[in-house]
Amino acid sequence: MSEKHAANRREDLRLITGRGRYSSDNNLPGQLHASFLRCDCAHAEIVAIDTAPALKRPGVVAVFTGEDAIAAGYKNFPNLMTFTNKAGAGILQPERPVLAHGRVRFVGETVAMVVAESAAIAQDAVADIRVEYRDLPTVVDAEDALKPAAPLLHTSVPGNLTLEWDTGDAAAVAQAFKQAAHVTKLKVVSPRVVPSPMEPRAALISYEAASGCYDVYTNSQGIGMLRWQISALTGVPEDKLRLHLHDVGGSFGQRSAVYPEHGALMIASKKLGRPIKWVATRSECFLSDSHGRGIVMGGELALDRDGKFLAARYDFVVDMGAYLTTTGPASHVRNPAICTTGVYKIPALYANFRVALTNTAPIAAYRGAGRPDIAYVIERLVDQAACELKIDRAELRRRNFIPLDAFPYKTPTLGTYEASDFNGCLTKALKAADWDGFPQRREAARKRGKLRGIGLSTVIEGTAAGFQPKDQIAIEFDADGRLEVFTVALSQGQGHETTFAQIVADTLGIAAESVTLRQSVHGKNIVGNHTGGSRSLVGAGSVCKIAAQKLIEQARPLAAEALELEPSQVDYANGAYRSRDGAKSIDLLELAKQHAGASPHPLNLIAEASVAATFPNGCHIAEVEIDPETGVSEIAAYTACDDCGTVINHAIVEGQMHGGVAMGAGQVFGEQTVYDKSSGQLLSGSFSDYAMPRAGWVRDIHMNDHPLISKVNVLGAKGVGESGCTASLSTLVTAALDAVRPLGIEHLDMPLTASRMWQMIQQAQQPQQAKAK
Amino acid sequence: MTKIELTVNGTRHAREVEDRTLLVDLLRDHLGLTGTHVGCDTSQCGCCTVHLDGRAVKSCTMLAAQADGASIVTIEGMAKGDKLHPVQQAFTDCHALQCGFCTPGMIMATAALLKDNPNPTDEEIYHGLEGNLCRCTGYINIVKAVKQAAQTMK
Amino acid sequence: MFQFNYLKAKSLADAAALAKANPDAKLMSGGMTLLPTLKQGLAQPSHLIDIGGLSELSGIEVKGNTLVIGAATRHYDVASSAVVRKAIPALAYLANQIGDPQVRNRGTLGGSVANNDPAADYPSAVLALNATIVTNQREIAADDFFQGMFATALEEGEIVVRIVFPLPKRAAYEKFPHPASGYAMAGVFIADTAAGVRVAVTGAGPGVFRWSDAEAALARGLKAGALDALHVDATDLNEDFHATREYRANLVQVMGKRALHKLLA
Repeated sequence: MSEKHAANRREDLRLITGRGRYSSDNNLPGQLHASFLRCDCAHAEIVAIDTAPALKRPGVVAVFTGEDAIAAGYKNFPNLMTFTNKAGAGILQPERPVLAHGRVRFVGETVAMVVAESAAIAQDAVADIRVEYRDLPTVVDAEDALKPAAPLLHTSVPGNLTLEWDTGDAAAVAQAFKQAAHVTKLKVVSPRVVPSPMEPRAALISYEAASGCYDVYTNSQGIGMLRWQISALTGVPEDKLRLHLHDVGGSFGQRSAVYPEHGALMIASKKLGRPIKWVATRSECFLSDSHGRGIVMGGELALDRDGKFLAARYDFVVDMGAYLTTTGPASHVRNPAICTTGVYKIPALYANFRVALTNTAPIAAYRGAGRPDIAYVIERLVDQAACELKIDRAELRRRNFIPLDAFPYKTPTLGTYEASDFNGCLTKALKAADWDGFPQRREAARKRGKLRGIGLSTVIEGTAAGFQPKDQIAIEFDADGRLEVFTVALSQGQGHETTFAQIVADTLGIAAESVTLRQSVHGKNIVGNHTGGSRSLVGAGSVCKIAAQKLIEQARPLAAEALELEPSQVDYANGAYRSRDGAKSIDLLELAKQHAGASPHPLNLIAEASVAATFPNGCHIAEVEIDPETGVSEIAAYTACDDCGTVINHAIVEGQMHGGVAMGAGQVFGEQTVYDKSSGQLLSGSFSDYAMPRAGWVRDIHMNDHPLISKVNVLGAKGVGESGCTASLSTLVTAALDAVRPLGIEHLDMPLTASRMWQMIQQAQQPQQAKAK
Repeated sequence: MTKIELTVNGTRHAREVEDRTLLVDLLRDHLGLTGTHVGCDTSQCGCCTVHLDGRAVKSCTMLAAQADGASIVTIEGMAKGDKLHPVQQAFTDCHALQCGFCTPGMIMATAALLKDNPNPTDEEIYHGLEGNLCRCTGYINIVKAVKQAAQTMK
Repeated sequence: MFQFNYLKAKSLADAAALAKANPDAKLMSGGMTLLPTLKQGLAQPSHLIDIGGLSELSGIEVKGNTLVIGAATRHYDVASSAVVRKAIPALAYLANQIGDPQVRNRGTLGGSVANNDPAADYPSAVLALNATIVTNQREIAADDFFQGMFATALEEGEIVVRIVFPLPKRAAYEKFPHPASGYAMAGVFIADTAAGVRVAVTGAGPGVFRWSDAEAALARGLKAGALDALHVDATDLNEDFHATREYRANLVQVMGKRALHKLLA
């Protein structure tokens, strides 16, 4: 990609000099500190809680339990899921008090909260609380949870099934399968991961009795989304919630949902009349942050004798943990449902989703949120079919791509794809990756004792749909006439301050430094989507452009007046209005300055648009080398060719791709979230047990682009924050599978840890060794 | 309580703190230097990395009392006025940060790495950054930044 | 982290006296294992006695046919010491594989050996090199010192002062790091010593142990391929969700082969 814009971001200076302001950096005078007692059993009745020893400890101010949570009269956690089952019933939303009441349902659930003069005292006092539990049977696996005899988590959710929803034409699919020359079937898992943004969760909440307002300092993905959720949860009207959001240390969907700790801190602050601060330890994060993925997917693909796809059928079991988060069900059902056809023309499609509860931490959106999962099962199916039919993997894909002349392409399920050139991406990627030269590289690896495989994926994802129907941007001029742009989006690393300012500045023809972006500012009466689902550039970013264009028109009469001309007689270019003869001119910013101090400033405006979903797509190719002695996999090469539409900032888009692919690599090769089957204990509860990707896992990504400009937004951009994840899971797994297929291994499941890979290789080699003897 | 005296970013400080106070808590809560971050509690992530008498340490895995008499440099002490440290400059030039939370620790670890090894290979960079986690960048641009900083510091 | 009193020992004798006076105290050198343990609330000592800065525990020198390293010597100092690199390069290499740079800048030889984490690197070198652990009370042979998971021959309040490594003819270490913690999932140290070939294994079992089959095989001939036919019995090895005991047994063999390859190179 070209170096159109230098990498240096507007936000970098404060972040590299230690002047960022993250949630735990906030403090208020007179603040108290909270620490949570989290249950150490996976499923139990709470028989008794004795808080007296904790209250006796010097410095402890109060202890709160489920009784206080019930007494607060809060409502329940909201849910964005709008789909209904065949009988027309919506998702079953189990009750969840902000501190457990009567029963606990996963290890790490908040049982009590100590408030004390210091964080250390609060932590000491948590250890003083005595809780008597009566253990209940535990189920940590979603498929097990749906079996008839499974332990029941909530009496309000029979069979632990919150929703069963399907899409497509089951009869047509059944018919097509009957007529198929070949059927490929498999079952794959997208295992549960712990998102683990580097900044732990934190909140500082202060109640003001005079106004009835709460000041909330926390980490979030955007003001509107969190404010709505807190209001829905607590019943406190949104206008009584003043959110103060600053730098956010990563999120990846993990901060998309409101957490019980928010509600508990509000209860404490109201009761005690002082600000309450809480900063999670990483151990708490592992136990109680929303987790991601956790989907078991059955897939079947029907083909005719020419290798044309006739139909596909999917059976999704979606693990949601012990309670439903705001974003979990909607993202894990809606997102995959949009793309059940992948990049292929599949005439008949059907997908069934069962959304289950288990005695584990709740699951919410995580980078891609259902998109990598559906892409993964489709690409595994296509690869497997190619292998079974002995058709080249690229060739089988080419035979079935949705052709260029078929767009906009309405899929048999929820999606309508915008134009994409799948074959173009594939062709470019194959060349860039030197696909044809692979046999030599495999042979060279063999001589070094390594098994080398190559994997290929052609994927698409529906991004940027958002949950709000429209996005607004406000442009305002401050007392000195400086241009400020307001958005409800909030960067967690995506670089909005740079990109959005750049869009406004480029549209106005002024220097980017003259534009300041303000994100998720309390008191700005604008709506829009939070930063999630690869939405912000496409939604808010597009409206930045529209707002800038609107500003040019709104300022024209004032400029004309200043130049003593009719509005029709002035032209705008490069930041200035000019008379037709060029004799007179005035800079937009100078004009704004002349009106500085006016209230409201005459150039202030709000622009808005409803921006449709985009469909970034691409072809990724990876080569993986496996050491058969240890089972260790290494990514030997990674090539990507993506259609991101118009790229606004190349450095940032590349960075998003790097991060997404590395996260995919983490899920494929390292990250394991392990709950003990019988006790429900989380065995992988720290960075000492949970293998995060480290420097060197992904050494380089050979990036190429093949853009078709999006027609659904004024930027022509496609939302790519999740693309790296979506493409990398299947690419890396199929590369590893290709490496070991010669040994007779037909199937692999993530994570491909060294231990598991070695065992697979051993099992495959034993019969061969036996035969050789 | 324990009395400690130490130099942080060239300034002498004397404080009396609880014996269990971690160095990172002293820096953040007592001295207001919130650029040093806490990302874990098992000494894995390296977000809290500072220099203690010229060497990189995890300030979350050290008592403030152990730093008595020491000279500490934190991220806030890296730039000289408006002039960024070459490692800071390289991080912004190479887009080696996204959310920025791991960045202070990464920069401190990188500066220490380059002090020991001014011209590291890729493998040596991976080895040198083993104590630091980043969730955003995939490390590719961080490794680039380490190399750029090595070049400019020659 | 629960409350405790921090005591900075002024001398080895002072440290011993403090330990004696406070039976629930813990000695701390670098604190790289102890502090995370305390932060997790897994221990509640009354006092921490800091011996990290004691000059009596410092120093690296070759004395006769031995390399003597003070207990409070940090991993970084062992890894980068010209003396160690010349005397026992495998030991410098091992020190550079411990944890990560920040841990190596704080963690100490004595702390690691006294803690005897079953996945720590140093115990394998101490055992394979047939080192002597010198405490403030006595000298303990490595074969007697390590007594299984986190257990050593050290008495209450006994402090490791230095470790005396007989210089081997040659030695090599190979380790398979745990993907998350960096500890050894299996580490094999082979030392060709005056008293014969000694092979120690860390990470795979409940504590560091000598791999007698490998020693016997290498006694028959210290040559390439000598360990190829060995079968490592998995019965007593560790198993967790990261690795089965069979996998660890395999790693012992593979790391052993690779260490041998290095030793012969």
